[in-house]
Amino acid sequence: MNARFRLGASVIVIGGLAIGIAAGCADKSMSKTGSGDVVADRQRLMKLQGASWADIQAKAKAGNVEGIAVNAETLALTAQQIPALFPEGSLTDKSKAKPEIWQKWPEFQAAAKNLETQAEKLRDAARAKNAQLTQDLVKDFGRNACGTCHTPFRQPPPQQPRS
Amino acid sequence: MARREMRSALHLSAGALFVMLAMAPPVAAQSRDEITRGKYIFGAAAGCGCHTVPKQPLNAGGRKYDGPFGTVYSSNITPDPTTGIGKWTDEQIITAIRAGRRPNGERLIPVHPYTVFNGMAEQDLKDVVAYLRSVPPVNRPTPAKKISVPMFERVFLPAWLATFAARENPPVAAASSGIPRGEYLTRAVSHCGECHTPRTMTMAVDNTRFLAGNPKGKGPDGSAVPNITPDRETGAGSWSEEQIADYLETGNKPDGDVAGGLMMEVIQGSSAGYKDLTKADRQAIAKYLKSIPPIKNKID
Repeated sequence: MNARFRLGASVIVIGGLAIGIAAGCADKSMSKTGSGDVVADRQRLMKLQGASWADIQAKAKAGNVEGIAVNAETLALTAQQIPALFPEGSLTDKSKAKPEIWQKWPEFQAAAKNLETQAEKLRDAARAKNAQLTQDLVKDFGRNACGTCHTPFRQPPPQQPRS
Repeated sequence: MARREMRSALHLSAGALFVMLAMAPPVAAQSRDEITRGKYIFGAAAGCGCHTVPKQPLNAGGRKYDGPFGTVYSSNITPDPTTGIGKWTDEQIITAIRAGRRPNGERLIPVHPYTVFNGMAEQDLKDVVAYLRSVPPVNRPTPAKKISVPMFERVFLPAWLATFAARENPPVAAASSGIPRGEYLTRAVSHCGECHTPRTMTMAVDNTRFLAGNPKGKGPDGSAVPNITPDRETGAGSWSEEQIADYLETGNKPDGDVAGGLMMEVIQGSSAGYKDLTKADRQAIAKYLKSIPPIKNKID
């Protein structure tokens, strides 16, 4: 066999192996994102959002307007992750999601985007130390940001006694 | 030529005015105060959201409800004269709301909670009628109900109403403050028990366990409904009055969670909802909820 041909073939084989190994590594690193239990992951994210929202309310009550910004930013960034945490086929007994999520997917995506947008507005008002606007946004946030998704897409949670 | 045309135009206008007057509903004109008060009570009744399909015209009906009896659709309660209640008298509208009877004598299926709306004061009902007449008319026929149980309306429904249905009684006048106000709103106007009180095997509310919640499958929409009695372990006993009052306006729960499903829907309402209740009324409801017997009933 011609030496140049053998060299070329080797390059192709080695190159192909290298690409395959890299793809395998990338695939493994992607599978490390999240715990592997997407329902548990999104419930953790929602709890984090709930904790951020509880902090915002406490700060609003205490008049700590500027302090709200970091929590609002947390809500905005976590809102971006919501659609990816609801893949097709992830409706289980443990989930409080409703099947309407996948029946009305564009509406669900819009609701997540709305949360992000509302949270950014709140963040910006807080950063600007605009107390009146911040308080007005906080007053309506639960209904207009969280509620836009919770109303059509979530089973009501059971009563949560405070521990 | 011009004079002849002017006479024709005048005749036409007079004719049109005559037709309009002839078609006008046989009711007194509503005052602005009545309409304002009526909208408030309408909001306290959760914006009569059963009569509005989300994102569709207010009060135009058509919302589907499945039950053991079959399927019904909420009525068009806009003032449209053909498909709504535009030709009904005030008395006929009030009779439908509190007694569940149409002008032609037909009984309403008690998905419309007339047994509790019967507990509303006369003036509040009159004001609600004033508000209902003030919203835009929508020409939309209500889909026909599909009753799957033979003789349901003629035999079973009257028997059920007479034997099992709990009924509120109307006060002489609506209570205006404190726990009596809270009781009036909770039991009648805001009809909390229709979702939050357990149902018996006959689907009647079990008022011996008033507001103790419903498990999944038994609540409206098939969802579970929380126990909101003041039981500390299984109910809302750990919530303060302030937290309850705040929740009715904002949907915010003490743990940072936010209401969802039908509860958020009734808080938002349609043109008005629970969120529009005054602080005094929300506090009155909260006081009342804290005063009723705590019932141990864990809802998962």
